[in-house]
Amino acid sequence: MPGYAAYLLSRLGQFVLVVFIGMNISFIVTHSTPIDPVEQTIAAATQYGSTNPEAIALMRQSLRELYGLEGGLGAQYVAFWRRIAVGDFGPSLSAFPTPVAVLVGRAIPWTVGLLVVSTVLTWILGNALGGLAGYYRKNRVLRFAGILAMAFHPIPYYIVAFILLITFGYLWPVLPISGGYMMNMERGFNLGFIMSLLEHSILPILSLVLVGLGGWFMGMRSLVSNVVTEDYVTYAELGGVSRRRILVSYVMRNALVPQVTGLAMSLGAIFNGAIITEQVFGYPGIGTLLVSAVHAGDYSLVLGITSVSIVAVSAAVLMIDLLYPLLDPRVRAR
Amino acid sequence: MRIWRAIVTFVVAVSAIASAHAQGSISKLPRRETLIVENPEGTIKNAGWFNIWAINAGGQSTGLHQLAMDTFWYIDPQRGLDGVWDNSLASEKPIYNADFTEMTVKLRQGIFWSDGKEFTADDVVYTIQTHMKTPGLRWSAAVQVNVADISAPDPYTVVFKLKKSNSRFHALFTVRWNAMWMMPKHVFEKAGDLLKFAFDPPVTLGPYVLHSYDPNGKWFIWQKRQDWQRTTVARFGEPGPRYVAYIDPGPPDKRVIAQLNHELDIIHDTSPEGMFTLAKQSKTSHSWFKGFPYAHPDPTLPAVILNNQLDMFKNRDVRWALALLIDIKAVSMASYRGAATISAIGVPPTGSHPEYYHAPLESWLKDFELDTGKRKFKPYDPTLGRQIADMLRPSMTEQIPSDPEEINRAFGRGWWKPNPQAAQELLERAGFTKRGERWFMPDGKPFTIRITVEGELRPVMTRAGSMIAQQWRQFGIDATTIVAQGSLVDRRNAGDYEAIISWSVETWGGHPDLSFFLDSWHSQFVAAPGKAQPPRNWQRWSSPELDRIIEQIRQTGFDDPKGLELGREYVKLVVREMPTIPLMSYNVFTVMDDTYWTGYPSAESAPYTDPVPNWANTKYMMVRLKPRQ
Repeated sequence: MPGYAAYLLSRLGQFVLVVFIGMNISFIVTHSTPIDPVEQTIAAATQYGSTNPEAIALMRQSLRELYGLEGGLGAQYVAFWRRIAVGDFGPSLSAFPTPVAVLVGRAIPWTVGLLVVSTVLTWILGNALGGLAGYYRKNRVLRFAGILAMAFHPIPYYIVAFILLITFGYLWPVLPISGGYMMNMERGFNLGFIMSLLEHSILPILSLVLVGLGGWFMGMRSLVSNVVTEDYVTYAELGGVSRRRILVSYVMRNALVPQVTGLAMSLGAIFNGAIITEQVFGYPGIGTLLVSAVHAGDYSLVLGITSVSIVAVSAAVLMIDLLYPLLDPRVRAR
Repeated sequence: MRIWRAIVTFVVAVSAIASAHAQGSISKLPRRETLIVENPEGTIKNAGWFNIWAINAGGQSTGLHQLAMDTFWYIDPQRGLDGVWDNSLASEKPIYNADFTEMTVKLRQGIFWSDGKEFTADDVVYTIQTHMKTPGLRWSAAVQVNVADISAPDPYTVVFKLKKSNSRFHALFTVRWNAMWMMPKHVFEKAGDLLKFAFDPPVTLGPYVLHSYDPNGKWFIWQKRQDWQRTTVARFGEPGPRYVAYIDPGPPDKRVIAQLNHELDIIHDTSPEGMFTLAKQSKTSHSWFKGFPYAHPDPTLPAVILNNQLDMFKNRDVRWALALLIDIKAVSMASYRGAATISAIGVPPTGSHPEYYHAPLESWLKDFELDTGKRKFKPYDPTLGRQIADMLRPSMTEQIPSDPEEINRAFGRGWWKPNPQAAQELLERAGFTKRGERWFMPDGKPFTIRITVEGELRPVMTRAGSMIAQQWRQFGIDATTIVAQGSLVDRRNAGDYEAIISWSVETWGGHPDLSFFLDSWHSQFVAAPGKAQPPRNWQRWSSPELDRIIEQIRQTGFDDPKGLELGREYVKLVVREMPTIPLMSYNVFTVMDDTYWTGYPSAESAPYTDPVPNWANTKYMMVRLKPRQ
């Protein structure tokens, strides 16, 4: 157990270091952008309406004070870490004065809901089919499923998404093509709302599953193909153990270990959002929020979203690192 | 078997959900009483924010400024319901004193806020005084620069004392897309910190109140006020739609699909290709023009804006040479697939401007001569609009008008005829030289021009920029495009560009006064190189002659016919000097679906307002819309 404690401490140290470096990179990148939030605000406020050049100068000065951009980069860096220390990303500059945390908190449930379901579904389907295809290599149905999965895999995501949109939104218009739920529907734990949520998530989830399935499928099939040649599998077969038990307990279980790591990484990356999915399907979430923040030069909001993402991905990796010794005796032995 | 059972269950579940979807895209509201409109702002980050006076804190064209706000006057970009000018909250036009240092506004009586309180001069005084003492509100700076004092001699009169003479002060309260809106004193005086007050739900002066909205900012639904008769628009009748939903329908392709499914009554803007698809496939969809080019020409003038502070563009001959190297037909085809309304002069060919400027100046343009030093010639080709129409006729057949006046309105009149020989002579006179196939500047460096374009954020203008770069390159100028994406605004403001496809001319549309953009072109506002330029003289051009015109306009009343004469002087000056190369109006492919509603504005039969639904002026559209029987 002392060995595990040392392992735990070293991994925790790595986690803190990765988060610190990641956030610093985010700060540098967002503050290096040529887009100035004050100029964006002025442009948005004046692009159609009447403008008075003297008033613009005064407006520019007022906004700099209001947004807290008066100090230099050093002062802003110190303020950034001071706010992070108390879990506050400050106000959004493109939706001033609403706090970044409020905007992120409003968007994250949608992204997490969509991506957890699609990621887990893709993982289960891909690994199940890949495992079966690797074990029952001569089965025609599984070979056909493999061809289909691989055929979808290299197609650019947005093309699959648009094919689905046109098919189920126009040619056979049975599914909604935009939004997270039906307009004017009362939000809450009621059947109508839940059905509407499900209905609106079918196309985004289907698109993600179709494109993501091939990767897991091919990975699992390769892993299983290697495992089936191991001595212990041959021994089990010679010993008369049923094929189903060999597949589940001997082959899949061993082959799944690296796939579990992949799942954890994918779940951590959920907080990056699914920018193209959200844009194409008009689905509310963190990806849409990030794009609009970048366009507006709203570095408070960009920093808020990237910080959440950095912490989430790092935490997922940390968790899998900590759980690995408990799952895999070979790692524990080291 | 279990797999098949699972598949059958899945199919049944999908079918059940699909049948539920067939019931419509909006819950619990009668579709036949609901107008569904695209909000081009997209998804609103901060949906529950309706305090429009706090700058950029929430959405504006969510229906908020079209249906809920009001102010003194509106100028229509087209003909207007009862003329271009409408006294909205004011009962008459602004009354100035002789030296334009005082403006009196008489208020309309019997107008009520949606919570039952009457709108009076107290609200106006509160609005102005709040902006005078609160920095950081949307119109704080404009009020602080202009207003010395405001008073209300009676409940229906307000008097503004100005810090200095300003004959266009009323423009602050005159809607052209938007204007300074009136605040409900009885709500805001109890709100505390105004910069942190969300104003949810908003108390409205317009004919609608907020019904519901998506906290994630995808849609906003407004409901007609029961007391709509107590709002200013009631003078023109009852608004047709009981509910109006402003939604984010997603990218252009999805807007087209949504309208084909009759789930989006008004598309704000789509691509030219999307417009052509709808024109072909949907019998109920139509736009501003009955046929080609369909789109509504906004009172905005996209142009090749040259940075006049750079040495290479300081010489008028160079600017003119570049104009003579542009083939406007090719630019029209590349940008709008031919659906452009061209303009050779520095005024958009839209609203009332063709009759105030383009038509009266046509003979002057035909006679206008350029002297290259080697010869004189007339660069204007009055047939170019017609040539574009003729070019499109074989493929678009009856969609292309044949009546010359209709062609003028739809495609524009003439433009500069490409003339590489004259361009060469002008460049040579400016000290430029051609060696081999390449041009060099007087200092011996290659003549390179980087044209900044916005990229996929504005594909039509990007395609125009690419075509112009190609035409200049064919002549031997090293021209390329730079895609600025979201940084275009910053680069344009800072003068960090050589040439840019953008616009520095925006007008009222319906009214011939040009001060809306022209006042900011005075040399007193031109920033030093590297410093931020206030809108809208992005070309950073100054001219004593232009200053004289602007100063005379400042001394002239808004409706004084002398203003029109001065406007025409400006047009002639910028033709001679070519500080920017005007291209065309900003055509917006607003597409309207007749399935549920009729009475939309159109160029031919109902030019009563601009149909582009993010304009606050579209409040007038609501009283003309009627449910389709």
